[in-house]
Amino acid sequence: MTEEILRVRNLTTRFFTEEGQINAVEHVDFDVRDGEVFGIVGESGSGKSVTALSIIDLVESPGRIVEGEVWYRNADLADEHRESHPDAVDGEFVDIRQLPEATRRWLRGPAFATIFQDPMSSLNPSITVGEQIAEAVEVQRRARANPRRTRSRTQGYGLSRFLLDSVLPSQHYVSEESHDHAVELLEQVGIPDPAERATEYPHQFSGGMLQRAMVAQALAGEPDVLIADEPTTALDVTIQAQILNLLSDLQQEEDMSVVLITHNLGVIARMCNRVGVMYAGEIVERGSLVDVFENPVHPYTQGLLGSIPDIEDPSPRLSPIEGNVPSLLDSQMGDRCYFADRCPKAMEVCLTPVAERDVQDESASTDGHRVRCVLADQPYNEADALAESYDWSTEVSADD
Amino acid sequence: MVSKRVVQNLRKEFRQSGLAKLGLVLVVSIILVAVFAPFIAPHNPTTQELGQAQLPPLGFSETKEATTSEMVDGEVVTKTVEKRVEANAAHPLGTDGLGRDMLSRTVYGARTSLMVGVLGTVFAALVGVPIGLIAGYYGGKFDDGLMRFADVSLAFPSLVLAIALIGLWGRAAVVLPDPFVSAGLVSGMPSTFTLPGTVVIVVGLVNWVWFARIARGEALSLRDEEYVKAARALGASDSTILGSHMLPNAITPIIVLATVQVAAIILLESSLSFLGFSGTTLSWGFDIAQGRNYISSGQWWIATIPGLAIMWSVIGINLIGDWLRDALDPGIEGEGGV
Amino acid sequence: MALGRFAIKRTLQGIGVVWGVITVVFALRFVTPGSAINAVAPLDADQETRQAIAAELGLDQPLYLQYGQYLFDLIQGDLGFSYIRGQAVTPLVLSKIPATVELALAATFVAIVLSIPLGVLSATRRNQPVDYGATLFSLVGISTPNFWLGIMMILVLAVEFGIFNTSGRGVNAGDVLLSIVGPERFLDTLIGWLTYITLPAIALGTYFTALITRLTRSGMLEELGKPYIRATRAKGLPETLVQYKHALRNTLTPVITVLGLQLGTLIGGAVITEAVFTWPGLGTLIIRSINLRDWPLLQGSLIVIGISFVLVNILVDMIYAYLDPRVVYD
Repeated sequence: MTEEILRVRNLTTRFFTEEGQINAVEHVDFDVRDGEVFGIVGESGSGKSVTALSIIDLVESPGRIVEGEVWYRNADLADEHRESHPDAVDGEFVDIRQLPEATRRWLRGPAFATIFQDPMSSLNPSITVGEQIAEAVEVQRRARANPRRTRSRTQGYGLSRFLLDSVLPSQHYVSEESHDHAVELLEQVGIPDPAERATEYPHQFSGGMLQRAMVAQALAGEPDVLIADEPTTALDVTIQAQILNLLSDLQQEEDMSVVLITHNLGVIARMCNRVGVMYAGEIVERGSLVDVFENPVHPYTQGLLGSIPDIEDPSPRLSPIEGNVPSLLDSQMGDRCYFADRCPKAMEVCLTPVAERDVQDESASTDGHRVRCVLADQPYNEADALAESYDWSTEVSADD
Repeated sequence: MVSKRVVQNLRKEFRQSGLAKLGLVLVVSIILVAVFAPFIAPHNPTTQELGQAQLPPLGFSETKEATTSEMVDGEVVTKTVEKRVEANAAHPLGTDGLGRDMLSRTVYGARTSLMVGVLGTVFAALVGVPIGLIAGYYGGKFDDGLMRFADVSLAFPSLVLAIALIGLWGRAAVVLPDPFVSAGLVSGMPSTFTLPGTVVIVVGLVNWVWFARIARGEALSLRDEEYVKAARALGASDSTILGSHMLPNAITPIIVLATVQVAAIILLESSLSFLGFSGTTLSWGFDIAQGRNYISSGQWWIATIPGLAIMWSVIGINLIGDWLRDALDPGIEGEGGV
Repeated sequence: MALGRFAIKRTLQGIGVVWGVITVVFALRFVTPGSAINAVAPLDADQETRQAIAAELGLDQPLYLQYGQYLFDLIQGDLGFSYIRGQAVTPLVLSKIPATVELALAATFVAIVLSIPLGVLSATRRNQPVDYGATLFSLVGISTPNFWLGIMMILVLAVEFGIFNTSGRGVNAGDVLLSIVGPERFLDTLIGWLTYITLPAIALGTYFTALITRLTRSGMLEELGKPYIRATRAKGLPETLVQYKHALRNTLTPVITVLGLQLGTLIGGAVITEAVFTWPGLGTLIIRSINLRDWPLLQGSLIVIGISFVLVNILVDMIYAYLDPRVVYD
């Protein structure tokens, strides 16, 4: 069994806004193994993007990671911090949440690289694409040259450097070598005429090309984990295929792990080895692709898979999941299974908090198939079912 | 015309912002002072009492050295005596070079500044908004021409243009009767009020382009809105569309601009008065100019107090402007003015 | 290169604007009460002089010929003749330009050097003391009449404390540059220059410092909230690089636009500041020309102001294009 590169435990992120507390990510657990593609699938508002941001520590106020650990496997890092942060080290794993901020920032690049949904809004419109990719390269170059693995927030760059930078080539932050390497990266992702295109601006690129460029940028640090948040959602279908192929190829070439976040089940089916299904900020089911897709236990997963239009299905109507995505406002979330109000198999026991558990399956050997649902180890009992007329509005949150 | 959501936004922003409340206090107070000047001013601002000239404000009585020289027996003898200049409670803010009460002059000065500020802005808006709306809506040559003219118009620094126009056209003023005095509610105060008409017109002419720009921008973006197309499809005439559909929706940035403009025009008017280009001598700028001559001899209040009054008003208006801008739409082009 | 073509395009546009300015000034002649002669001749000119002027101006000729003559003179650099002073306008105006330019540059320098760092700090340390201080300062700064500020500074710093000179331009920047030859002389000259220019530059520059601080602050706040900033942070870029190289760069572009629009205010402010400090520049010249009804001088000054304004605007546009290259491709 391959080793894991990333272990997320009990990750909880909340937003403290004027309207109240929003529970975006609730006690999320998952693992990503070496060299695999782990998919996170869910509807909009399920918390998938916030999960990604939480891993790389880019959650901005009013949001905050409230609890949880993000265990990243890096032997050198572990050794370095074994003495200074004993609680943060477990074997070869380091809980990056407990590390100092400078170190966490250092990890962006060599450990985690991220590509976002809309490439056009991920780039500064007034700086060339080549320059921006070269920035990523440069950051890595300097990080590797710095043995202490900590970097100051400023690295001696301020207003005066900015002014000099714009005028004097010698004061540039980005070096010549980084620019050259950026062109190589562009070539690696299949952009024709890379040297020429590096001198162009984001608005001169098509959506697909730009997303390739973002992939190139992500590769600059030779990351262990590439986090891709809806990388193809903003693109045309044909371009989507290209980008996904690119990601597959690169993933194998570079032996990278990928966390692929999307709401598109087709993409998951095509790309992922293992998958986690998110709903209302929780992972409700996770396991290998085969397990989850062919043997879904959680009624939500079943509903999702059942709602995919099937070209060979004779019935004229689609089968959606009834009801609406719940509000994530703390005051409106009950202390129970969050899917219960839409679940066709809800039972009395679902009104209490539901913990994650292994799926009991006598047939095939499952590979870490876990579900946040009682149906994992007990069959559906009609007798205990909740009445249709159950009044969900009487809920009062425990921690109001 | 103004939607409920907008009113809600305004209230919310106001409640949250201490500065907005301060702004309201400042502005309302200065408006009240300007309107009820005859009641608030203790003396007639134009009455000269040469015997009471150059009195300091209360609390600033001072002892000064005065050197006098006189001829005694064919020789020049200089004596240095100490002179005590005592503030007079009847003139709490002191008096100017000709013995006029500073408090009263400052109170009446508010009238001049506010009237020019408001009327000038209204004039600029009345000229600029229709032109801008028409240019943005119809586009074409008229729009091009307008934009090019706007470039030229803004090429001249507004103050210089204003000075030049006033220099050419003179400083005509309109003499208006003071309603309170005419009604006999107050005595001893000037029965008329001088409104520097040319200044108002010049100031409006110099600033209408700002309104035209904003109105044009709004018209351009609103032109493609669905409801405009729908109105046209239903056969509404252009003037109806412009007046009843576009104008109400363009009003928000125009209002924000208007507040900025009032502040800017008050500053412009005070600059013009300072240089002596206003049609009235009862204004803050004029007093500052007057006060300048007394700086080296130590009568600092003549120049200082009117300046503080200007700041009071302009800070208040700017705070209101910020409040409006924050509440109505944070994405409004904020700075436009002299 | 695209930037070069852009420069040419802007220059051509600029020429168009200058032409507009010239024409408007020409038209002003006919807007004055009385005949056009009043726009040129002094009030107390006798009949003979007036007729001579009329002939000189060619007022009996058709309009287009007058206009043509006017343009022809202008191209040769002839801005007319001041009957009141008995001097040609052009050399008179040109001689006053350096003083005004010196003042304007000093004020702009002060403004930019202070305001941009202040604006950035204010935005990045939001709601901390720096922010409150900067916000308060910028509010007061745009609400203070600059002539009054100048007078107050004279009152306190020049009269009371005697640190600075109350008026005039005894030592100018040219003197400072020339005196670099000898170090002791240089220091003396430098200090002398500062005693003359500091107060006017601050008086003139305060409004702009306040304005730019405000704009930089709000611009930075808006920019820092944009998605590409988050993506850039995700690359691991140091925070100051994100703030300055990325956010500030994009913030400066609208700031520069507004600056360009406010250049008129700068010049207007210079006129007043010159009046307060008796600074011998173009502004003082204009005011005197109005008070003395010296119309040819006034018109000549207006034209020069218009032209220099256009030139500076083109310069500003070029800086803008450097910061945001998208504009070049329009």
